[in-house]
Amino acid sequence: MSQPLGIDRVEASDAELVRRVRTGDIGAYGALVARYRGRLGRYAVHMLGDREDAEEALQDSFVRAYRSLQRCDDPARFGAWLYGILVNRCRTSGARAARRRRMFVRDADALNGATHADQADRVEWSDTVNRALARLAPEYREAFLLKHVEDMEYEAMVQLTGAGVSALKMRVKRAREQLQKFLKEAEHV
Amino acid sequence: MMLAALLLVVQVGVAAQDPRLERLDPETRSVVVWVVDSARAVGLPSEPLIQRALEGATKGAAGPRIAAAVRRLATDLGTARTALGQRTSAPELEAGVAALRAGASPEVLTRLRDARRPPLTMALAVLADLVASGVPADSASAVVLAMAPTARDADLVEFRKAVERDISLGAPPGASAAVRAANTGIRFGTSDAAQNPSQPPRPPSRP
Amino acid sequence: MFDRDDDIVERVVRQLRQPVSIDPALDARVMAEIASDAAPLATPRPRFQLRRWPWLAAAAALGAVLIAKPWSGGSDGAANAFQFVLVAPQAASVSLVGDFNDWDPARSPMQTAQGVWATTVPLPPGRYRYAFLVNGVEWRADPGAPRARDDEFGTPSSVITVGGTGS
Repeated sequence: MSQPLGIDRVEASDAELVRRVRTGDIGAYGALVARYRGRLGRYAVHMLGDREDAEEALQDSFVRAYRSLQRCDDPARFGAWLYGILVNRCRTSGARAARRRRMFVRDADALNGATHADQADRVEWSDTVNRALARLAPEYREAFLLKHVEDMEYEAMVQLTGAGVSALKMRVKRAREQLQKFLKEAEHV
Repeated sequence: MMLAALLLVVQVGVAAQDPRLERLDPETRSVVVWVVDSARAVGLPSEPLIQRALEGATKGAAGPRIAAAVRRLATDLGTARTALGQRTSAPELEAGVAALRAGASPEVLTRLRDARRPPLTMALAVLADLVASGVPADSASAVVLAMAPTARDADLVEFRKAVERDISLGAPPGASAAVRAANTGIRFGTSDAAQNPSQPPRPPSRP
Repeated sequence: MFDRDDDIVERVVRQLRQPVSIDPALDARVMAEIASDAAPLATPRPRFQLRRWPWLAAAAALGAVLIAKPWSGGSDGAANAFQFVLVAPQAASVSLVGDFNDWDPARSPMQTAQGVWATTVPLPPGRYRYAFLVNGVEWRADPGAPRARDDEFGTPSSVITVGGTGS
C-alpha cells in the first residue's frame, strides 16, 4: 500500500471503537475516554460542584462502562449509554459532597491570560453561577444541566434519569425559576 | 496437500479477523495475516508482528516493504526463542530480537538466560541500546554478561544512561563502556567474564 | 421582565457550557485500572494481546524532565504511566505513535504548553518502538531516548523498555 506520508484517516466512530474494544483492543477504549472526558467532565463538575469528586465520578464511570461494555446494546449510542452511567454515579457522589462544604469550581477562562480586570469579572461571575447552581435541588440541577448545557432531548433524558418527560420538564422549569431568583438576589447583594 | 490445508486454516485464522489489519491493502494484508497466523501456530507472539505492520502502514510504506519487515521479524522472533527458550515471554523475545539485530550472537542470548533470573527484558534491551549508541557489539555483550548475575534492572539502565551521557560529551562509546564497567568492579573485556558468566564477579559497587 | 429573566438563564447556560479542565492524568488512571482486569471482555484471546496498550512510554526531550508516575507497583504486569515530551515550538499538532497504540495518530494526540508537547500513557512491561508525528507529516524520534536500530521504513523511531514481570 503506497500512500504519501501523512495520514488520511477518518476518526473511528464510537461503534467502531466499541467493536475493537470487544475484540480485546484495550487501546481503543483509550480513544473513547479521550473523546468523552471533556463533555462528561463538564457535567460532573457542574453537577457535583467539586472537581475532585467530579474526577473521581468520571474515572469510576469510565471504568464501570468498560467492565460492563457487553451491556451496551447499541454501540453507536455509546455516548448516551456512558452518560447514563455517569448520571447515576453522580447521584451517589452528590450525597457525599453535600455533607461537605462546597468548593467552587474556577472557570477555565480564569486560568488563561485574560486582563486583570476581565479576569476578576469573569471569576466573579463564574462563582456566582456556581453558587446559584449549587443551591438547586439535585434533581433540578441534573435536569437543567442535561437539557440546557448538554443539549439533550427529553426522550434521551428519560432513559438516563428514569423520570417521565413531564416530570423532567417541570424540573427544568423549576430550575430556571430558581436560578433567576438566586441570580437576582446576587445582583442586589 | 499440507500447504493447501495450511492455507485453508489460515483463511479462518484469527489474524484475518483483526480489524486493525484492514489498514493494509488486500495483497499485503493476506501476506501479513499468513505470517501472523503461522507465527501464532508455533507459539510465537503475534502482537509485535501486527504492530510492525501497522507501523509500516502509518508511515506510508509500500506493501512489499511491510510484508518483508513482518516476515523478517517473525524469523528473528523464532531465532530469539531458540536462543532464549520456549517459555520466554513476548517482551523478552522482542528485546532479544533487538539484541540480535544489534549484533549479539544467539550464543550471548543463551548465556544471558543462564546467567540471570527472568525477566531478561531489561538486560537484553540495555545490550541492544548500548550497541545502538555505538558501543561495539562484542564489548556490549561482554559487559552485560558480566553484570548479568548480580546487577538489578535499574543498575543496567543506569549503566546505559551513563554511557550515553559520556557519548554525548564526546567519549568514544567503547571506551566509556570499558571505563564504567571497570568502575562497577567488573573485569571488562577479559575472556573470563565473557565465557564464565556463572562465575560471579565482584559485586558491583553502587555509585 | 420576562425577557430579562430569560436573558439571565441564557447567560448562565453560556457560562456553564465553557470547557472545564479535567486532570490530563485521568485518562492514564482509567487505563491503568482496566489494565489490571483479569477477565477479557469477549471471547478468550491469546494472552499476548491482552497486554496491548495505546499509551505512551516515557522519554525526556531536551530540557524536559522524565516523570514516571506509577499507578501500581509495576512488578505485577500492570501498567506504569509514563510521560512523553517533545519540544516543538513551531508545530501545530504532535501525536505520539508506537507499538502501544497501533501506530495510530488519533490515539495519543499531545497537548502543548508554549511549544512543549506532552502526554502521559500507562505501559505494561515490554519493549516499544515509537515516534512523534509532527503536523501529520513529519516523523521525529525522541531526542532523549534510545534510537531504534532497525528503521526499516525509512523514518526514525525510538525505543522504550519497561521492566517488571509482564507475562
